[in-house]
Amino acid sequence: MAEDIKAKLDQYRTAPFDARFPNQNQTRNCWSNYLDYHRCQKALNAKGVDTTPCEWYRRVYKSLCPIGWIEKWDGQRDDGSFPGKI
Amino acid sequence: MAHQAHAYHMVDPSPWPLTGAVSALLMTSGLAIWMHFHSTTLMSLGLVLLLLTMYQWWRDIIREGTFQGHHTPPVQKGLRYGMILFITSEVFFFLGFFWAFYHSSLAPTPELGGCWPPTGITTLNPFEVPLLNTAVLLASGVTVTWAHHSIMEGQRKQALQSLALTILLGFYFTALQAMEYYEAPFTIADGVYGSTFFVATGFHGLHVIIGSTFLTVCLLRQMLHHFTSEHHFGFEAAAWYWHFVDVVWLFLYISIYWWGS
Repeated sequence: MAEDIKAKLDQYRTAPFDARFPNQNQTRNCWSNYLDYHRCQKALNAKGVDTTPCEWYRRVYKSLCPIGWIEKWDGQRDDGSFPGKI
Repeated sequence: MAHQAHAYHMVDPSPWPLTGAVSALLMTSGLAIWMHFHSTTLMSLGLVLLLLTMYQWWRDIIREGTFQGHHTPPVQKGLRYGMILFITSEVFFFLGFFWAFYHSSLAPTPELGGCWPPTGITTLNPFEVPLLNTAVLLASGVTVTWAHHSIMEGQRKQALQSLALTILLGFYFTALQAMEYYEAPFTIADGVYGSTFFVATGFHGLHVIIGSTFLTVCLLRQMLHHFTSEHHFGFEAAAWYWHFVDVVWLFLYISIYWWGS
């Protein structure tokens, strides 16, 4: 399982087509992966387990999201005003 | 002595359309002046002129119809069409605000937390005061129908009682909403939730006040014996308007208060 993830991460070039977000507006795709990465981090850290599986979500949101959005959301998470549920 | 050879009403020249138009100009430009130069004089003048226009124009219509007999069946039919078209235009007015609400709530943006209600908004419990408000307006729909039947059956005292009860229920709704507005944990400035909530319910409340006023005028006219059992279109128009206000509330309740919580 972990080897598959590492293989996928090695092969990663950019965010692949995600059928959940088929249209031109990819905002939801970026948002969803940003949330999933941080939720994954929170959940796996709580269990004390290796967080490598979370890397996939990080790669995808880094590929898709505008840098300004990432900076804004990271800032909001730092001062506790992030509106999303992590 | 020349008499008209038709049943229609050729209205005498009247200054009220002009004063109405002038008041509209004063209110709109007054609004701009208020926003830029802090003075409410022009806008208040426009408002006063509007109230005077409405009072005198509708007083004249009552004189023409009730006292001078100009409201023949075809004339009344025209008035019916007019009221129906006006209410239809109001339906479209509210449709816009419902469109805005659904636009924002069906696909909530990341700024809101991707959810509806947005993060940080504590909504009102739809089964508390809003449910009472629903009951109040539905009851007032019953009482206004009771009033209509009383008028048609020539039951003067019952007509006065049921019409008065309808108006009281309208005031009760307004008082309850005012209290809800005062006690609400969110304001109009709280993102798109606040905007859609207060603009939609706010315009509805304004229409409740307008409807209550219309019904009060009907109550006064009924006291003064203006209505007959066959001819009481002013009352019917008020009742149609009141039912429209009730229906808008039902849509507001289901969409914003219940689904939107």
